Amino acid sequence: MRKDLISGLVLLAVAGIYYSWSGAIADSTLSDEVGAAGLPHALAVVLAILGTLLIGRTLLARKPRTVTVDDSTDESDAGLPRAVGFLLFGAAYVIVLPFAGYVIGTALLIGGVALYEGAARNWTVPAAAIGGGVFYWAIFVKLLGVHQPVGSLIQGLF
Amino acid sequence: MTTLLDIIRLLTETPLVFVAIAGLTWGILGGALPGISASITMALVLPFTYTMDPAQAIALLACVYIGAEYGGSIPAILIRTPGTNSSAATVIDGYELNRQGRAGEALGISLMSGVIGSLFGLAMLILLTEPLSWLALAFTPASYFGLGILGLSVIASMSGGSLIKGLAAAIIGLMIATVGTDPISGVTRFTFDIPDLLGGVEPVLVMVGLFALTELMCQSGSTTVTQLNQKIRIKLPSLAVMNKLKRSQFIGCILGLFEGLTPGGGGSIAAFMSYNEAKRWSKTPHLFGKGSEEGVAAPEAANNTVASTALIPLLSFGIPSSNSTAVLLGGLLMHGLIPGPRLFEQSAQVIDSIYVGSFIAIIAQIGVGIIILPACIWLVNRPRPYRAGFIFALILSGIFTLNNSLFDLGIALVLGLVGFLMRLAGFPVLPMILGVVLGHMVESSYRRSLVLSGGDHMIFLQDPIAVALLSIAFIFVAFSLSRELREARKAKIEEVPS
Repeated sequence: MRKDLISGLVLLAVAGIYYSWSGAIADSTLSDEVGAAGLPHALAVVLAILGTLLIGRTLLARKPRTVTVDDSTDESDAGLPRAVGFLLFGAAYVIVLPFAGYVIGTALLIGGVALYEGAARNWTVPAAAIGGGVFYWAIFVKLLGVHQPVGSLIQGLF
Repeated sequence: MTTLLDIIRLLTETPLVFVAIAGLTWGILGGALPGISASITMALVLPFTYTMDPAQAIALLACVYIGAEYGGSIPAILIRTPGTNSSAATVIDGYELNRQGRAGEALGISLMSGVIGSLFGLAMLILLTEPLSWLALAFTPASYFGLGILGLSVIASMSGGSLIKGLAAAIIGLMIATVGTDPISGVTRFTFDIPDLLGGVEPVLVMVGLFALTELMCQSGSTTVTQLNQKIRIKLPSLAVMNKLKRSQFIGCILGLFEGLTPGGGGSIAAFMSYNEAKRWSKTPHLFGKGSEEGVAAPEAANNTVASTALIPLLSFGIPSSNSTAVLLGGLLMHGLIPGPRLFEQSAQVIDSIYVGSFIAIIAQIGVGIIILPACIWLVNRPRPYRAGFIFALILSGIFTLNNSLFDLGIALVLGLVGFLMRLAGFPVLPMILGVVLGHMVESSYRRSLVLSGGDHMIFLQDPIAVALLSIAFIFVAFSLSRELREARKAKIEEVPS
């Protein structure tokens, strides 16, 4: 119930922000009757209505007579910080890639994620990480001919 | 017109054979990994098809779909964990057979029933797709608008019990589709002077972000340990057993055809429906749930039939009826291929490759299925932390391959977070993907119609095809809404005694 209330508020916020951004869409002499901003405006309004409906439905829902467990403490909620932490490895990969290059970046990603996900801290982690980096490099760059970042670090060394 | 010589040439062409078997193998491996659905398996390989020949790329995706449907039954039978949603019904009797020491037989029945279902589905795909697609020649911009709305109406049956949330997800998808250059006037929208956004957000990024990255995030921290017996071997069923199973396989094929054609249908519904019907028509219904061979054959024939028949509405009209076909539509659009009669006329090679590639994959499935089983078991037995690291690296490498752009990686990561938050709040992701994929078609056909009519909305009621399509869409939504209201009322009544 609390989730639906928060979701409804988020939908209203998204609708508001999107509507204000759509006001910045430039007019064009080539434009038709609806215009480039026509659909965005309509979408923002519909989303706001849906958000309001969701909030209304949640508030109007009959309160159960028996004591219920608060849904904010279920398993998914507990996993939110963990899941965001997982995603941060991806963000770090994006930052590191232009500097460290594909092989080192990929090795760091595989090793970091493995440790984060609970792999035992022994020689297997660096071995799998380096092996994984080289394996993907061989497949993408050498076998498939796909361009991947070399990295300023490697370029500086050679 | 495709000649027999064209088909023989395609059959003997090494790259297509290679592509079909590679797609099938990848599909089986992906499908066998619990939590990695058919659509995720397809989304993972989608970025790598960007540089491929379009015909081979689409054939590859179709073969991945076929492989994943079979692959999903492997953990369903061996560890009571369906690899894909559509193999959930296989768990009931497949795992029971495994407990009785008949895992090899169950895998063999699953494999052969899947092959029969796939062949039936492919025959229907070849017979029905092209005639249906010719209907699209009579389409005006108003008809295309109706078609887009019909495609979006799938949302109603995919909203997971909350139409409001499904519609909101679709609206957000449509909002993402508005990023980039306006299709009529050419002005830029929501690009914030970032050159990477001028072309809009590619559907493939949305799919990879919402399906694959979200799934990895959801599995993060999971302590579930899966261990398979490395010594299991597939035992193909004898002719006598196959004869005994023909009724349940037939039921699976027919229901698979029906569900594949229905927007919002899909392998899971087909599998459970055929399990129920096979039990109803069985001479030994008491064995269902206790290790019935028919209980494995029916759902496997059904979900494999759907893997082909779901392509019928996709290739004819561009309507994706499931997550997997939405990914396939993303693949078609990525290569500039628009479903409909022009696809059959102008890109006949692509259609032939789908047919021939699928045929090769289905036949090869028998051999590959047997050979690859140890590899599947090895893969499932890898420690989860390493598996997560390797899959994450594969996803990010694939996204970079699209445009050699770090910005794309950022978009996919943000969408992964959005998908995770949506799942947390109980919002379905498929409507959002449909919004992204169909958004451009809906907006441009709506506005073109109004340009033609001088701004008169009656154009949508004067076009018979548009009226028919909009009416069907309305019925879909009304039916889903009434079902939702009925279920809510039922839940209220059940709540009262407590």
